[in-house]
Amino acid sequence: MPVKWLMHWQPNQGVTLTTQILTEACQCVESQLGGAKDGRWKTALTYYRPALREASASGDLPRELLGVALHDQLGSYYFLLRAHRLILQADSSMQALMDKLQSYKPRVVLNFEGFQYRLGDFQVRVGKCVPSSEVLRGIMMEVEYLPLSSIEKSRQILEDFFDIWQDTVKKRSLPGHFILVEPNFADYGLQDHYTPQHTAVQYATCMTQLMAAVRN
Amino acid sequence: MECVVQGIIESQNNSHYMRHNNGVRLQHVEALQILLQGLCGVPKERVRVHELCLKSGPNLGVVPSEVRLLCDLAQPTPSWTVRHVGGAMRGAGAEQISVLVRTIVESKRGAQITVTVTSANKMPKLYATDEAVPVTPGIQLVEITAPAAAENYSEVVAAVSSFCEYLAPLLHLSKPGVSMGIVPTAAAAAASLMSNSGAKTL
Repeated sequence: MPVKWLMHWQPNQGVTLTTQILTEACQCVESQLGGAKDGRWKTALTYYRPALREASASGDLPRELLGVALHDQLGSYYFLLRAHRLILQADSSMQALMDKLQSYKPRVVLNFEGFQYRLGDFQVRVGKCVPSSEVLRGIMMEVEYLPLSSIEKSRQILEDFFDIWQDTVKKRSLPGHFILVEPNFADYGLQDHYTPQHTAVQYATCMTQLMAAVRN
Repeated sequence: MECVVQGIIESQNNSHYMRHNNGVRLQHVEALQILLQGLCGVPKERVRVHELCLKSGPNLGVVPSEVRLLCDLAQPTPSWTVRHVGGAMRGAGAEQISVLVRTIVESKRGAQITVTVTSANKMPKLYATDEAVPVTPGIQLVEITAPAAAENYSEVVAAVSSFCEYLAPLLHLSKPGVSMGIVPTAAAAAASLMSNSGAKTL
Protein backbone atom coordinates (compact mmCIF):
# COMPACT_ATOMS: atom_id res chain seq x y z
CA MET A 1 0.00 0.00 0.00
CA PRO A 2 1.23 3.56 -0.71
CA VAL A 3 3.25 5.44 1.91
CA LYS A 4 1.32 8.08 3.82
CA TRP A 5 2.56 10.95 5.95
CA LEU A 6 0.41 12.82 8.44
CA MET A 7 0.74 16.49 9.28
CA HIS A 8 -1.18 18.75 11.60
CA TRP A 9 -1.54 22.48 12.01
CA GLN A 10 0.44 24.10 14.81
CA PRO A 11 -1.15 27.51 15.54
CA ASN A 12 1.10 30.36 16.71
CA GLN A 13 1.28 30.95 20.44
CA GLY A 14 -1.99 32.41 21.77
CA VAL A 15 -3.88 32.02 18.46
CA THR A 16 -7.22 30.18 18.46
CA LEU A 17 -7.79 27.57 15.82
CA THR A 18 -10.52 28.43 13.29
CA THR A 19 -12.03 26.76 10.23
CA GLN A 20 -10.57 29.62 8.20
CA ILE A 21 -7.24 27.75 8.27
CA LEU A 22 -8.98 24.70 6.81
CA THR A 23 -10.54 26.73 4.02
CA GLU A 24 -7.19 28.34 3.20
CA ALA A 25 -5.40 24.98 3.19
CA CYS A 26 -8.00 23.53 0.81
CA GLN A 27 -7.62 26.53 -1.48
CA CYS A 28 -3.85 26.06 -1.51
CA VAL A 29 -4.29 22.49 -2.69
CA GLU A 30 -6.88 23.36 -5.32
CA SER A 31 -5.66 26.68 -6.70
CA GLN A 32 -1.91 26.79 -6.05
CA LEU A 33 -1.13 23.10 -6.52
CA GLY A 34 -3.88 22.23 -8.99
CA GLY A 35 -5.38 19.39 -6.98
CA ALA A 36 -8.60 17.81 -8.27
CA LYS A 37 -11.20 17.29 -5.56
CA ASP A 38 -12.08 13.64 -5.51
CA GLY A 39 -14.31 12.94 -2.52
CA ARG A 40 -14.62 13.09 1.23
CA TRP A 41 -12.89 11.09 3.95
CA LYS A 42 -13.45 10.27 7.61
CA THR A 43 -11.29 8.49 10.15
CA ALA A 44 -12.31 8.04 13.78
CA LEU A 45 -10.17 7.63 16.87
CA THR A 46 -11.71 6.41 20.14
CA TYR A 47 -10.21 6.56 23.61
CA TYR A 48 -11.37 3.59 25.68
CA ARG A 49 -11.00 3.59 29.46
CA PRO A 50 -11.45 0.60 31.81
CA ALA A 51 -14.82 0.39 33.55
CA LEU A 52 -13.53 -0.08 37.09
CA ARG A 53 -15.72 -1.16 39.96
CA GLU A 54 -13.37 0.58 42.34
CA ALA A 55 -11.87 3.70 40.82
CA SER A 56 -8.73 3.74 42.95
CA ALA A 57 -7.52 0.19 42.37
CA SER A 58 -6.69 -0.03 38.67
CA GLY A 59 -3.74 -2.32 39.29
CA ASP A 60 -1.77 -3.12 36.16
CA LEU A 61 -4.77 -2.73 33.85
CA PRO A 62 -3.93 -0.48 30.90
CA ARG A 63 -5.58 2.84 31.66
CA GLU A 64 -6.09 3.74 28.03
CA LEU A 65 -6.91 1.75 24.91
CA LEU A 66 -7.04 3.51 21.55
CA GLY A 67 -9.28 2.36 18.73
CA VAL A 68 -8.86 3.60 15.16
CA ALA A 69 -11.29 3.20 12.25
CA LEU A 70 -9.49 4.21 9.03
CA HIS A 71 -11.44 5.61 6.08
CA ASP A 72 -9.68 3.31 3.60
CA GLN A 73 -9.93 0.11 5.72
CA LEU A 74 -13.64 -0.16 6.42
CA GLY A 75 -13.54 -3.88 7.27
CA SER A 76 -10.88 -3.46 9.96
CA TYR A 77 -10.44 -1.82 13.34
CA TYR A 78 -7.08 -1.10 14.96
CA PHE A 79 -6.34 -1.19 18.67
CA LEU A 80 -3.29 0.46 20.22
CA LEU A 81 -1.83 0.26 23.69
CA ARG A 82 0.60 3.18 23.59
CA ALA A 83 2.20 2.46 26.95
CA HIS A 84 3.03 -1.06 25.78
CA ARG A 85 3.76 -0.10 22.15
CA LEU A 86 1.28 -2.73 20.94
CA ILE A 87 -0.91 -2.54 17.87
CA LEU A 88 -3.55 -5.05 16.78
CA GLN A 89 -5.64 -5.34 13.64
CA ALA A 90 -9.13 -6.74 14.19
CA ASP A 91 -12.31 -7.11 12.18
CA SER A 92 -14.57 -4.02 12.35
CA SER A 93 -17.17 -6.12 14.24
CA MET A 94 -14.80 -5.92 17.24
CA GLN A 95 -16.47 -2.61 18.13
CA ALA A 96 -19.81 -4.43 18.66
CA LEU A 97 -17.94 -7.00 20.74
CA MET A 98 -16.42 -4.26 22.92
CA ASP A 99 -19.98 -2.93 23.49
CA LYS A 100 -21.07 -6.36 24.71
CA LEU A 101 -18.07 -6.91 26.96
CA GLN A 102 -18.44 -3.56 28.75
CA SER A 103 -14.94 -3.98 30.17
CA TYR A 104 -13.42 -1.00 28.36
CA LYS A 105 -15.81 1.79 27.41
CA PRO A 106 -15.40 4.56 24.81
CA ARG A 107 -14.87 7.86 26.61
CA VAL A 108 -13.81 10.26 23.87
CA VAL A 109 -14.40 9.94 20.14
CA LEU A 110 -12.51 12.14 17.70
CA ASN A 111 -13.56 12.40 14.08
CA PHE A 112 -11.09 13.43 11.40
CA GLU A 113 -12.96 14.43 8.25
CA GLY A 114 -12.60 16.54 5.15
CA PHE A 115 -11.95 16.50 1.43
CA GLN A 116 -9.52 14.52 -0.63
CA TYR A 117 -7.62 15.65 -3.71
CA ARG A 118 -5.60 13.99 -6.46
CA LEU A 119 -2.36 15.70 -7.45
CA GLY A 120 -0.53 13.57 -10.00
CA ASP A 121 1.21 10.77 -8.07
CA PHE A 122 0.02 12.17 -4.76
CA GLN A 123 -3.27 11.89 -2.97
CA VAL A 124 -3.82 14.62 -0.40
CA ARG A 125 -6.47 14.77 2.32
CA VAL A 126 -7.17 17.93 4.26
CA GLY A 127 -9.53 17.84 7.20
CA LYS A 128 -10.53 18.91 10.65
CA CYS A 129 -10.33 17.06 13.94
CA VAL A 130 -13.61 17.32 15.86
CA PRO A 131 -14.68 15.58 19.01
CA SER A 132 -18.40 14.84 19.59
CA SER A 133 -18.72 18.32 21.12
CA GLU A 134 -18.10 19.70 17.62
CA VAL A 135 -15.47 22.15 18.87
CA LEU A 136 -12.61 22.33 16.38
CA ARG A 137 -9.59 20.63 17.86
CA GLY A 138 -7.18 20.44 14.96
CA ILE A 139 -6.49 20.62 11.24
CA MET A 140 -4.88 17.59 9.61
CA MET A 141 -3.38 16.58 6.35
CA GLU A 142 -2.64 13.16 4.93
CA VAL A 143 -0.19 13.02 2.03
CA GLU A 144 0.04 9.74 0.17
CA TYR A 145 2.66 8.93 -2.46
CA LEU A 146 0.91 6.34 -4.63
CA PRO A 147 3.79 4.68 -6.55
CA LEU A 148 5.82 3.48 -3.52
CA SER A 149 5.27 1.29 -0.45
CA SER A 150 8.73 1.62 1.06
CA ILE A 151 9.03 4.31 3.72
CA GLU A 152 12.78 4.78 3.15
CA LYS A 153 12.53 4.93 -0.64
CA SER A 154 9.76 7.51 -0.57
CA ARG A 155 11.28 9.68 2.17
CA GLN A 156 13.06 12.13 -0.16
CA ILE A 157 10.08 12.73 -2.41
CA LEU A 158 7.73 13.25 0.54
CA GLU A 159 10.20 15.68 2.14
CA ASP A 160 10.30 17.62 -1.15
CA PHE A 161 6.50 17.71 -1.24
CA PHE A 162 6.43 18.94 2.36
CA ASP A 163 8.87 21.76 1.52
CA ILE A 164 6.73 22.87 -1.46
CA TRP A 165 3.63 22.69 0.71
CA GLN A 166 5.22 24.83 3.47
CA ASP A 167 6.22 27.48 0.91
CA THR A 168 2.72 27.54 -0.61
CA VAL A 169 1.04 27.97 2.77
CA LYS A 170 3.56 30.61 3.92
CA LYS A 171 2.41 32.92 1.10
CA ARG A 172 -0.99 33.12 2.77
CA SER A 173 0.52 34.52 5.98
CA LEU A 174 -1.54 32.31 8.23
CA PRO A 175 -0.90 32.35 12.02
CA GLY A 176 0.84 28.99 12.27
CA HIS A 177 2.37 26.19 10.21
CA PHE A 178 2.00 22.51 9.47
CA ILE A 179 4.25 20.04 11.25
CA LEU A 180 4.99 16.44 10.46
CA VAL A 181 3.97 13.64 12.73
CA GLU A 182 7.07 11.48 13.22
CA PRO A 183 6.31 8.34 15.18
CA ASN A 184 8.83 5.63 15.88
CA PHE A 185 7.40 2.78 13.82
CA ALA A 186 10.09 0.35 14.97
CA ASP A 187 8.85 0.74 18.57
CA TYR A 188 5.61 -0.92 17.46
CA GLY A 189 7.44 -3.64 15.58
CA LEU A 190 6.48 -2.16 12.21
CA GLN A 191 8.73 -2.54 9.15
CA ASP A 192 9.71 -0.41 6.17
CA HIS A 193 6.82 -1.71 4.07
CA TYR A 194 3.88 0.63 4.68
CA THR A 195 0.67 -0.82 6.16
CA PRO A 196 -2.58 0.49 7.69
CA GLN A 197 -0.98 -0.17 11.10
CA HIS A 198 1.54 2.58 10.25
CA THR A 199 -1.38 4.97 9.66
CA ALA A 200 -3.02 4.01 12.96
CA VAL A 201 0.27 4.69 14.80
CA GLN A 202 0.57 8.09 13.06
CA TYR A 203 -2.94 9.09 14.19
CA ALA A 204 -2.24 7.99 17.75
CA THR A 205 1.05 9.95 17.80
CA CYS A 206 -0.63 12.94 16.18
CA MET A 207 -3.20 13.09 18.98
CA THR A 208 -0.46 13.35 21.60
CA GLN A 209 1.08 16.24 19.66
CA LEU A 210 -2.31 17.91 19.06
CA MET A 211 -3.25 17.77 22.73
CA ALA A 212 0.11 19.25 23.69
CA ALA A 213 -0.45 22.06 21.13
CA VAL A 214 -3.93 22.84 22.50
CA ARG A 215 -2.59 22.94 26.06
CA ASN A 216 0.15 25.44 25.09
CA MET B 1 -27.73 -14.49 17.18
CA GLU B 2 -27.37 -18.21 16.75
CA CYS B 3 -29.42 -21.33 17.24
CA VAL B 4 -27.52 -24.18 18.86
CA VAL B 5 -27.98 -27.77 19.99
CA GLN B 6 -25.40 -30.24 21.27
CA GLY B 7 -25.08 -33.97 21.72
CA ILE B 8 -22.42 -36.60 22.34
CA ILE B 9 -21.33 -39.54 20.25
CA GLU B 10 -19.06 -42.49 20.90
CA SER B 11 -15.83 -42.16 18.99
CA GLN B 12 -13.84 -45.27 19.71
CA ASN B 13 -14.44 -48.69 18.21
CA ASN B 14 -15.99 -50.97 20.77
CA SER B 15 -13.76 -54.03 21.15
CA HIS B 16 -16.80 -56.07 22.23
CA TYR B 17 -18.27 -55.51 18.78
CA MET B 18 -14.97 -56.35 17.13
CA ARG B 19 -15.06 -59.85 18.55
CA HIS B 20 -18.61 -60.51 17.44
CA ASN B 21 -18.47 -58.92 14.00
CA ASN B 22 -15.34 -60.47 12.55
CA GLY B 23 -13.22 -57.35 12.93
CA VAL B 24 -15.64 -54.83 11.40
CA ARG B 25 -14.93 -51.55 13.15
CA LEU B 26 -18.00 -49.53 13.92
CA GLN B 27 -17.19 -45.87 13.99
CA HIS B 28 -20.26 -43.88 14.99
CA VAL B 29 -18.57 -40.71 13.89
CA GLU B 30 -18.00 -42.22 10.45
CA ALA B 31 -21.64 -43.26 10.32
CA LEU B 32 -22.63 -39.70 11.16
CA GLN B 33 -20.50 -38.51 8.28
CA ILE B 34 -22.30 -40.88 5.90
CA LEU B 35 -25.65 -39.68 7.22
CA LEU B 36 -24.64 -36.05 6.78
CA GLN B 37 -23.28 -36.74 3.31
CA GLY B 38 -26.64 -38.21 2.35
CA LEU B 39 -28.52 -35.28 3.83
CA CYS B 40 -26.53 -32.41 2.41
CA GLY B 41 -23.55 -33.67 0.39
CA VAL B 42 -21.20 -31.04 1.83
CA PRO B 43 -17.52 -31.98 2.13
CA LYS B 44 -16.05 -32.16 5.62
CA GLU B 45 -13.25 -29.89 6.84
CA ARG B 46 -10.66 -30.56 9.48
CA VAL B 47 -11.10 -28.73 12.79
CA ARG B 48 -8.11 -27.80 14.86
CA VAL B 49 -8.79 -24.87 17.17
CA HIS B 50 -6.75 -23.55 20.05
CA GLU B 51 -9.23 -21.88 22.36
CA LEU B 52 -8.41 -19.38 25.09
CA CYS B 53 -11.16 -18.32 27.44
CA LEU B 54 -10.57 -14.92 29.00
CA LYS B 55 -12.51 -13.74 32.00
CA SER B 56 -12.52 -10.16 33.26
CA GLY B 57 -10.52 -9.57 36.43
CA PRO B 58 -12.24 -8.82 39.72
CA ASN B 59 -12.18 -5.04 39.33
CA LEU B 60 -12.91 -4.71 35.64
CA GLY B 61 -16.37 -4.09 34.21
CA VAL B 62 -19.65 -3.47 36.02
CA VAL B 63 -20.54 -7.14 35.49
CA PRO B 64 -18.11 -10.04 34.93
CA SER B 65 -17.54 -10.80 31.28
CA GLU B 66 -15.99 -13.57 29.29
CA VAL B 67 -14.61 -13.67 25.79
CA ARG B 68 -13.11 -16.53 23.79
CA LEU B 69 -10.10 -16.28 21.51
CA LEU B 70 -10.12 -19.02 18.89
CA CYS B 71 -7.06 -19.69 16.81
CA ASP B 72 -7.79 -21.76 13.72
CA LEU B 73 -4.75 -24.01 13.33
CA ALA B 74 -6.23 -26.00 10.43
CA GLN B 75 -5.57 -23.22 7.91
CA PRO B 76 -2.11 -22.67 6.35
CA THR B 77 -1.97 -19.28 8.11
CA PRO B 78 -3.49 -19.42 11.61
CA SER B 79 -6.35 -16.97 11.98
CA TRP B 80 -7.97 -15.62 15.12
CA THR B 81 -11.63 -15.16 15.90
CA VAL B 82 -12.88 -13.32 18.96
CA ARG B 83 -16.20 -14.61 20.20
CA HIS B 84 -18.57 -13.28 22.82
CA VAL B 85 -21.45 -15.54 23.84
CA GLY B 86 -24.40 -13.57 25.12
CA GLY B 87 -27.46 -14.50 27.09
CA ALA B 88 -29.92 -17.10 25.83
CA MET B 89 -33.56 -16.33 25.06
CA ARG B 90 -35.70 -16.94 28.11
CA GLY B 91 -39.35 -17.25 28.93
CA ALA B 92 -42.27 -19.55 28.09
CA GLY B 93 -41.63 -19.28 24.34
CA ALA B 94 -38.00 -20.26 24.70
CA GLU B 95 -38.88 -23.23 26.87
CA GLN B 96 -41.20 -24.66 24.28
CA ILE B 97 -38.56 -24.83 21.58
CA SER B 98 -35.91 -27.55 21.63
CA VAL B 99 -33.16 -25.29 20.30
CA LEU B 100 -31.21 -22.70 22.24
CA VAL B 101 -31.32 -19.19 20.79
CA ARG B 102 -28.59 -16.88 22.01
CA THR B 103 -26.79 -13.71 21.05
CA ILE B 104 -23.31 -14.10 19.72
CA VAL B 105 -20.85 -11.51 18.54
CA GLU B 106 -17.93 -12.73 16.51
CA SER B 107 -15.24 -11.06 14.55
CA LYS B 108 -15.78 -13.53 11.68
CA ARG B 109 -18.88 -14.38 9.62
CA GLY B 110 -20.74 -17.70 9.95
CA ALA B 111 -22.22 -19.98 7.25
CA GLN B 112 -25.48 -22.01 6.98
CA ILE B 113 -26.10 -24.99 9.29
CA THR B 114 -22.76 -26.11 10.63
CA VAL B 115 -22.15 -29.52 12.16
CA THR B 116 -18.98 -29.77 14.22
CA VAL B 117 -17.66 -32.99 15.74
CA THR B 118 -14.82 -32.36 18.16
CA SER B 119 -12.96 -33.77 21.09
CA ALA B 120 -11.93 -31.32 23.79
CA ASN B 121 -8.32 -31.67 24.83
CA LYS B 122 -6.69 -30.14 27.84
CA MET B 123 -3.12 -28.82 27.68
CA PRO B 124 -0.73 -29.46 30.59
CA LYS B 125 0.57 -25.93 30.18
CA LEU B 126 -0.41 -22.83 28.22
CA TYR B 127 0.09 -23.07 24.41
CA ALA B 128 1.36 -26.71 24.56
CA THR B 129 -1.16 -27.83 21.90
CA ASP B 130 0.84 -30.93 20.94
CA GLU B 131 0.75 -32.29 24.50
CA ALA B 132 -3.02 -31.99 24.92
CA VAL B 133 -4.94 -35.01 26.18
CA PRO B 134 -8.65 -35.74 25.64
CA VAL B 135 -10.92 -34.59 28.43
CA THR B 136 -13.51 -37.26 27.57
CA PRO B 137 -11.76 -40.20 25.89
CA GLY B 138 -14.05 -42.16 23.60
CA ILE B 139 -16.69 -39.45 23.50
CA GLN B 140 -16.85 -36.54 21.09
CA LEU B 141 -19.03 -33.47 21.17
CA VAL B 142 -21.35 -32.80 18.26
CA GLU B 143 -22.53 -29.25 17.92
CA ILE B 144 -24.99 -27.89 15.37
CA THR B 145 -25.18 -24.14 14.91
CA ALA B 146 -26.90 -21.79 12.51
CA PRO B 147 -26.75 -18.00 12.42
CA ALA B 148 -30.02 -16.20 13.10
CA ALA B 149 -31.39 -12.71 13.47
CA ALA B 150 -34.14 -11.32 15.67
CA GLU B 151 -36.50 -11.23 12.65
CA ASN B 152 -35.96 -14.81 11.46
CA TYR B 153 -34.86 -16.92 14.41
CA SER B 154 -38.11 -18.93 14.55
CA GLU B 155 -37.51 -20.15 10.99
CA VAL B 156 -33.92 -21.06 11.82
CA VAL B 157 -35.13 -22.90 14.95
CA ALA B 158 -37.56 -24.91 12.79
CA ALA B 159 -34.79 -25.73 10.30
CA VAL B 160 -32.37 -26.85 13.01
CA SER B 161 -35.09 -28.90 14.75
CA SER B 162 -36.00 -30.81 11.60
CA PHE B 163 -32.34 -31.33 10.79
CA CYS B 164 -31.92 -32.86 14.26
CA GLU B 165 -34.69 -35.36 13.53
CA TYR B 166 -32.67 -36.77 10.64
CA LEU B 167 -29.73 -37.33 12.96
CA ALA B 168 -31.86 -38.95 15.71
CA PRO B 169 -30.71 -42.55 14.92
CA LEU B 170 -27.17 -41.57 15.94
CA LEU B 171 -27.52 -38.56 18.23
CA HIS B 172 -29.64 -37.07 20.98
CA LEU B 173 -29.42 -33.33 20.31
CA SER B 174 -30.54 -30.79 22.88
CA LYS B 175 -29.82 -27.33 24.26
CA PRO B 176 -26.28 -26.98 25.60
CA GLY B 177 -26.30 -27.85 29.29
CA VAL B 178 -29.24 -30.24 28.97
CA SER B 179 -27.36 -33.53 28.56
CA MET B 180 -29.20 -36.51 27.13
CA GLY B 181 -26.35 -38.96 26.75
CA ILE B 182 -25.67 -41.30 23.84
CA VAL B 183 -28.29 -43.08 21.76
CA PRO B 184 -28.36 -46.71 23.01
CA THR B 185 -29.15 -48.08 19.55
CA ALA B 186 -26.52 -45.93 17.80
CA ALA B 187 -24.30 -48.93 17.08
CA ALA B 188 -27.03 -50.71 15.14
CA ALA B 189 -27.89 -47.52 13.24
CA ALA B 190 -24.21 -46.93 12.44
CA ALA B 191 -23.79 -50.50 11.20
CA SER B 192 -26.81 -50.08 8.99
CA LEU B 193 -25.51 -46.82 7.53
CA MET B 194 -22.05 -48.25 6.92
CA SER B 195 -23.32 -51.37 5.19
CA ASN B 196 -25.89 -49.48 3.11
CA SER B 197 -23.30 -47.11 1.80
CA GLY B 198 -20.82 -49.90 1.08
CA ALA B 199 -18.20 -48.15 3.24
CA LYS B 200 -14.86 -49.92 3.44
CA THR B 201 -13.37 -50.78 6.80
CA LEU B 202 -10.46 -48.57 7.85
